[in-house]
Amino acid sequence: MNNQQNWKDDVNLVDDDLSKLLHQPNLSKLISHNPLQKIKRNLLINMIYGVLICLLYLFIIFYFQIWQVQIAISIVLIFSLWALYTAWIQYKKIDISHPLNSSLLVELKRNYKSINHWIKSQQKVAIAIYPISATGGFMLGGVIGSGKSVEAFMNKPEILISLCITLIILVPLCYYLAKWMSNYAFGKHLKTLAQNIKDLETEK
Amino acid sequence: MSEAQFLEEIRQNQSIIYKLVGLYANDAEEKKDLYQEILLQAWKSWSAFRNDSKFSTWLYRICLNTILTQKRKPSKIDFTDSLEQHSPLVQNKATLDEDVFRLRLAIRQLAETDRAIISMNLDGYDNNEIAETMGISSNNVAVKLHRIKQQLSNLLKQ
Repeated sequence: MNNQQNWKDDVNLVDDDLSKLLHQPNLSKLISHNPLQKIKRNLLINMIYGVLICLLYLFIIFYFQIWQVQIAISIVLIFSLWALYTAWIQYKKIDISHPLNSSLLVELKRNYKSINHWIKSQQKVAIAIYPISATGGFMLGGVIGSGKSVEAFMNKPEILISLCITLIILVPLCYYLAKWMSNYAFGKHLKTLAQNIKDLETEK
Repeated sequence: MSEAQFLEEIRQNQSIIYKLVGLYANDAEEKKDLYQEILLQAWKSWSAFRNDSKFSTWLYRICLNTILTQKRKPSKIDFTDSLEQHSPLVQNKATLDEDVFRLRLAIRQLAETDRAIISMNLDGYDNNEIAETMGISSNNVAVKLHRIKQQLSNLLKQ
């Protein structure tokens, strides 16, 4: 095949742009743009924020002596701790090395599975936490804003209706926003990974 | 092994990275990003490298695993476009023979996994080595190579 000779003759390729990159001062200081590395970095940032938010919830629970708010925030705190735990488990699970023994197909599948799992877990967290945090926030905001007790504030039917409307609008909105954002960030990449997996597995 | 020794090994085998990056990058910026990512991943995986395989084979695998799992821009190459237009993506045109240049552009028209298979084949790897790197059977490699070569031949006739 003539093409093979052409290709092999190409062995002394020179690319000045890329050659310059070989003079890196310290390879370990390079920042990876690997999607899994980015997800891992985001998970770490989320966990740091998660710890700070949990501390804020603890402060609210001890500072505001309103039992309804304390219960709502305690439930949010439990869910936040659960989200923190699942984030930690996922952080530990994501292996960003490229093991020598892994074939391309295994690597593609591992990436596809990890990204998909991360997106699904973000959506589950959104569905579980948003209604409770919205209710907690609504009650706390109402109590602070009106200066009334929770009983007095929540006593009016229009307030309860407002809370229901807030939940009906806010929860699906946040869920679809989370879905849209993860699709925006990784949708095309996931499609490419899926296509490459399919192409390799198909015998044609 | 020190970083300097590692970079020396890379320097000796850099044509592998240039070729593969040139087959997948969609602009000059992406070409640099992919190259840098390969350098980083190879450096990180370096401790796992044992001399029971050739450095070039190991680097080939690192390159393909890194490039194909990396988030990249969608391909915009049209083979019927002017060759001059795509010269920064493929290589410095002045350093390349027209036939090599056309071959590279034709390979860029193939599906992503097909590009990996044909480049390994053109670099002289046998079907078993390609199968091991890709994670598929050698029969599947043979079937795919037959189809890819036909496709490539049609593209080069255009």
